[in-house]
Amino acid sequence: MKCEDIVHAIPFYLYGEVSPATEELIEDHVTGCAACARELQVQRALHAALDVRQTSVPAGLLQECRGDMARNIAREAVAAHPGRHGAFGVMEWFRDLLHHGIPMRVPVGALAMIAIGYFGARLTGPAPFASLTANKAGVDNGLQMSVVRSIESPSTGTVRIALDDIRRREVVGSVNDEQIQRLLLSAVRDENNPGVRVESVGMLKECAQSSPVRAALLDAVRHDPNPGVRLKALEGLKAFGSDAAVRQALADVLLRDDNAGVRIEAIDVLTRQRDDAMVGILQNVFQKEDNHYVRTRVQNALQEMHATVGTF
Amino acid sequence: MVLAAGVIATRMATQPDEAALIRAAQRGDAEAFETLVRAYDQSVLRIAMNLLRSPEDARDIYQEAFLRVYKNLHTFRFDCSFHTWLYRIVTNICLDHLRKRKVRREESTVVETPEGPLDRIDTFPQDGPASDPERRAWNRQLQEKIGAALEDLSPRERMVFELRHYQGLRLRNIGEMLGTSEEAAKNCLFRATQKMRSVLGEFV
Repeated sequence: MKCEDIVHAIPFYLYGEVSPATEELIEDHVTGCAACARELQVQRALHAALDVRQTSVPAGLLQECRGDMARNIAREAVAAHPGRHGAFGVMEWFRDLLHHGIPMRVPVGALAMIAIGYFGARLTGPAPFASLTANKAGVDNGLQMSVVRSIESPSTGTVRIALDDIRRREVVGSVNDEQIQRLLLSAVRDENNPGVRVESVGMLKECAQSSPVRAALLDAVRHDPNPGVRLKALEGLKAFGSDAAVRQALADVLLRDDNAGVRIEAIDVLTRQRDDAMVGILQNVFQKEDNHYVRTRVQNALQEMHATVGTF
Repeated sequence: MVLAAGVIATRMATQPDEAALIRAAQRGDAEAFETLVRAYDQSVLRIAMNLLRSPEDARDIYQEAFLRVYKNLHTFRFDCSFHTWLYRIVTNICLDHLRKRKVRREESTVVETPEGPLDRIDTFPQDGPASDPERRAWNRQLQEKIGAALEDLSPRERMVFELRHYQGLRLRNIGEMLGTSEEAAKNCLFRATQKMRSVLGEFV
């Protein structure tokens, strides 16, 4: 092989994409050719250097994607087969995702939208280990599910089956409906599962002009232990960046929140409008902040306000 | 006499092989579909994240890809591996995103700062130890160079490079996924490495 051929083959050699015979030819050649040996060295270093660029998936993103997908497929199934559950038992899949530790559960509202179609289908299908009965009355869709807990044989030829009956009540309505809002607000405050809180906040943010809703969003942005919920609440508050209570809450978030993503979002909302009262807060943040990107954002904001980063 | 107690489990105790899973999912078995998704979704997200370097875009690609899988699984005829079929979907979506991004340069993750260009992606964790400040600074410079070199690749070169270098796929498989020959994938990889070599050769 000529030097030109060797240089051409080196990238494939490094990727293990040449035949054993070519591999041997290259190795033989570079032992006696300084130029090609140098080229191999450079390309090997380049090969290794490119590994630096490898990016990890941010923590939590996979689970968020799985949660989003479950919802998208549920919507797809309902859209494709209104009145049926589509290709899969969507609710079962939801339940399985949750069972496997996904921090997402279908919120009351979303559940209400898809439940009737799904359960309607389940009722017509075979259910060997669970008996399902449904009561449809107006907006309420009552569902009773019986789970076999134990089977006994008290005497020959007879069976005693113990059942647990679980009753689910569903409410369907607009997110602007007072009863729905009350349920969502209650889920934001009291629900343990952060997935439900994210979903509930996501629905409530559409009606943040209502004072109780805005108060719940402010409470969530300040106190919810889950950054996903706080970020969702921040989205809902974006349109109210000029509101004094919102600005105060976001200033607190900027100084105290332990999640850089949440702090960045807070900066975005706070710096959408010029507010000289923010200068001191931003300077304070700049001194304390240890995240490089957040510091850069704060610095940019201060420069746009023609303020220095130091308090002197 | 108690014959049975506890909730009766219907889950299968053992994992069926992939072909059985696919057939079950095609018949409408939600659990089989979920198992299939879970077998591949981490690598799909990793490719999307590495290629687009944006969690938002990676998320979009994930959703679009698996929704397409859901809608089209019934058309899968086992004439290639499920892996190849899935990656064909994923690479097509990624290529579309890369092409759009090529047009809309303002979507770059790099922002100008007083300290020089800063890649927003640097705020996300990256593999490999980099605790030494000098090493970190060197890595940052190198990443800027690599980022610029990658931006100069065509979407197709970028894709082949990603699949070969970062995902470790064979050129034969890459050709199959991209609907082209192994030779064409090889030429693409060669052009990509030459471009990288010309930009980074002096640096390494």
